[in-house]
Amino acid sequence: MQVKLEKQYTIATSPEAAWLVLRDVRVLASCMPGAEITEQVDSTHYKGHVKVKVGPAVAAFGGEIEILAFDEVIKSVRMMGKGADKGGSSASMDLTASIRPSSTAGQCLLLGSSDVIVNGKFAQFGGRMMTSVSDMILGQFADNFAVKASEFYAQTNPDLAHAAGANTAPKKSKAQTELNAFSILWGLIKGFFSGLVGSKK
Amino acid sequence: MNAPLKDRQAALQGMGESRLRKEDARFIQGKGNYVDDIKMPGMLFMDIVRAPVAHARIKKINKEAALAIPGVHAVLTADDLKPLKLHWMPTLAGDVQAVLADEKVHFQMQEVAIVIADDRYIAADAVEAVVVEYDELPAVIDPFKALEQDAPILREDLAGKTEGAHGKRYHHNHIFTWDSGDKEKADAAFSAAQVTVEQKMFYQRVHPCPLETCGCVASFDPIRGELTTYITSQAPHVVRTVVSMLSGIPESKVRIISPDIGGGFGNKVGIYPGYVCAIVASIVLGRPVKWIEDRIENLSSTAFARDYHMTGELAATNEGKITGLRVNVIADHGAFDSCADPTKFPAGMFHIVSGSYDIPAAYCRVDGVYTNKAPGGVAYRCSFRVTEAVYLIERMVDVLAQKLNIDKAEIRRKNFIRKEQFPYTSAFGFEYDSGDYHTALDKVLNAVDYKGLRKEQAATRANPNSPTLMGIGLVSFTEVVGAGPSKICDILGVGMFDSCEIRVHPTGSAIARMGTITQGQGHQTTYAQIIATELGLPSEVIQVEEGDTSTAPYGLGTYGSRSTPVAGAAIALASRKIHAKAKKIAAHLLEVSENDLEWEIDRFKLKGDDSKFKTMKDIAWAAYHQPPAGMEPGLEAVHYYDPPNFTYPFGIYLCVVDIDKATGETKVRRFYALDDCGTRINPMIIDGQIHGGLTEGYAVAMGQQLTFDAQGNIQGNTLMDYFLPTAVETPKWETDFTVTPSPHHPLGAKGVAESPHVGSIPTFTSAVVDAFAHLGVTHMNMPHNAYRVWQQLQASGVTS
Repeated sequence: MQVKLEKQYTIATSPEAAWLVLRDVRVLASCMPGAEITEQVDSTHYKGHVKVKVGPAVAAFGGEIEILAFDEVIKSVRMMGKGADKGGSSASMDLTASIRPSSTAGQCLLLGSSDVIVNGKFAQFGGRMMTSVSDMILGQFADNFAVKASEFYAQTNPDLAHAAGANTAPKKSKAQTELNAFSILWGLIKGFFSGLVGSKK
Repeated sequence: MNAPLKDRQAALQGMGESRLRKEDARFIQGKGNYVDDIKMPGMLFMDIVRAPVAHARIKKINKEAALAIPGVHAVLTADDLKPLKLHWMPTLAGDVQAVLADEKVHFQMQEVAIVIADDRYIAADAVEAVVVEYDELPAVIDPFKALEQDAPILREDLAGKTEGAHGKRYHHNHIFTWDSGDKEKADAAFSAAQVTVEQKMFYQRVHPCPLETCGCVASFDPIRGELTTYITSQAPHVVRTVVSMLSGIPESKVRIISPDIGGGFGNKVGIYPGYVCAIVASIVLGRPVKWIEDRIENLSSTAFARDYHMTGELAATNEGKITGLRVNVIADHGAFDSCADPTKFPAGMFHIVSGSYDIPAAYCRVDGVYTNKAPGGVAYRCSFRVTEAVYLIERMVDVLAQKLNIDKAEIRRKNFIRKEQFPYTSAFGFEYDSGDYHTALDKVLNAVDYKGLRKEQAATRANPNSPTLMGIGLVSFTEVVGAGPSKICDILGVGMFDSCEIRVHPTGSAIARMGTITQGQGHQTTYAQIIATELGLPSEVIQVEEGDTSTAPYGLGTYGSRSTPVAGAAIALASRKIHAKAKKIAAHLLEVSENDLEWEIDRFKLKGDDSKFKTMKDIAWAAYHQPPAGMEPGLEAVHYYDPPNFTYPFGIYLCVVDIDKATGETKVRRFYALDDCGTRINPMIIDGQIHGGLTEGYAVAMGQQLTFDAQGNIQGNTLMDYFLPTAVETPKWETDFTVTPSPHHPLGAKGVAESPHVGSIPTFTSAVVDAFAHLGVTHMNMPHNAYRVWQQLQASGVTS
């Protein structure tokens, strides 16, 4: 099962603060619900795991991340992640992510382009839901990313952050230690029905 | 017939009676005895570690964690089977198949290792604890891509082998090329043709999906050196021979028992790695081992059916008389060629593809190809590849009719083999035994008011406000069943005869033992009826026993509608041996010459004198009590029947569908099935078989498909996705019949259970395509589910 994902999220911080999150794999991984970097093998190789819970079934993907390219100037990073689960699923993700300035002050854009291949049970049973589930996962990721970036922003620019007021104040970081499939399913159901309503013009 | 004779006849419940099924009493009370019901002292359970990817090298298998789980007895891999030379096994098609993946994985869900444990739950936990490291390789899913020059080599074990079991291999992923007919003559017919049509079609990969999955209980007795295996097999004797050949245990010490079987439909013909592993585990551990597949394993790894990419061509005159047929097929056989066909026919009986039509020149060619998918290619409720053949010719005749703007009933009438042409030898060399296609067609057209339907369709098409499209499908199929004459049909060298042993007991009851095995067909009911009529004993006192190789005579099993054509004939002929001996005894008892006797329902009587007679019951007692001097006591016989020819059942099916223009939902308004299976043994069972076959045909045409993504992940291998129709979805069936007996069969019977599957599938396609015919559509690939039909509605610009 192969899915190509092109995503763009608006992040309510400066490009510099957002880059601080993107450039550090450990921080970046912590934005991914259920993911954690457990070991740095060398300057470009890391080990980690992601835990996904779908109802009573828990899948724990263990794997490696390799940084393939890293560019401070254009604020872009490319990485390759590969992992497998004991239950018979495996996945790989070739991801290029970068930060672009936004035309709106105090915001920037997080661009992601990835090629995800999933094999095994997840591909057998979840094939048709892959794109929508990925959307939900990445949506949660972007939320967490924004929160983290805002925290960095507040640390580096305490005055500005204060002046911006309550609207841009960092949301409290949600303690998500695993990818919660219930909220994903709920999101899908909401999306499905709003789609139905939306199509009736 | 006078009243007393009628009463005596009725008391037998013989041939032609709708006798109630003897099997049902135990099935409807939950008292069946299936493989999973077998429990043996000290029995262990096996589960299988399967490959998560379709194509990969195995780097390492780590068993330690699994072995450390309390209750786990063994974890076996290909390396463990290697010293026994059991890591690979021969297939029925002349190829070899990995029992457990040997260094390389060839399809997703392939067997990689087995775990034996105290119970099913521990075994499942241990499967998860076995850690296998894979090096993934690019998977080849499309058979056309598999034949490209730079395609990855799938079967490294065959590297450099240019000669396969069925001749030359021209590419590393090519299995065989098989052809039939006269190519030059066919080409000439096309060069000279006034009109030609060509149509590509894909007969999707489907799965028979019997309610009971595959499994076995293997029990090796190390003291006696005997192996007993309860197994879900449609061919237990073949299993015994193969197990003996693989294990080296003498065949006399191998006992294979097929108990009650919950549906087979071809899925239970093959010999699967799971069976072999359970047997090996039992031999190694000296304890009984049970293995039962779950549904996902059944749909993903045990034998699929079809997967034929077909191109058909017809040459014809402007008036619609067919002059030539050409067919080309790329057959996706998956990773190992384990098709279950008569050994000499790698594409089965596909050359029945000229159908019910008198076609003077024909040629077909099938190329088998390896891909990274599960092996199989079984006859799913059909005689070997007949479903594919019938689908192709019936589609092609429709395509030609459309091109020439001739009605599809008319073009069939014009091309049918005529009644007086039988026995008819087809361009592919089959000798059709008997048929009367014109009579059957007229009967169906009149029954449904075909002209009226066409009128209604024209009105629907003319009405822009109609919410539906109306389609009429028509098919006139001929099957070839009852494999088969052993001069051309064998499995691993064993001729495809079948057998029956009948013992009449002293008190006039009898037991018959058979080489076939019922899986729902109702053999225990119908076989007894044949004996009842032949021997004049009530069918109630005739026991029919099948499936135990230690008691039954050798037979090739039940598949390809062969039970009645082959075993049914063996019953009749075994009965007639007994009948002949009984006549001698009767003559002795009545002190007359045999020539003075005549047979009447249940007795021999003196010609013209109703008062002097001996019933078969009297004769049975005498056979054990006071047989004539010089005659062996007892009343029993064995007959091995080697059929002189196949039988050729046929039918005319008509279907009316209404397709919702907005949703693409297809509603089957009417389905009329006329079958001619020759002599009818039990009309009620025939009707039941036809209902079942039509329902499975509906399943294939309207929803069943095993699909794969580009990486070889099987999609939809659960009943959440795989369409198994229930009473909710199933349309109403109307059945009808004509009777054209087979001239070479002792009873005139031809076999029926598979006709409705073979015949109905193209009927549904014919109906769905017919709904779009006025929009220029000539073919739509199955399955005709709402989404796919909706796509065609969009493509054809149909708006609601």
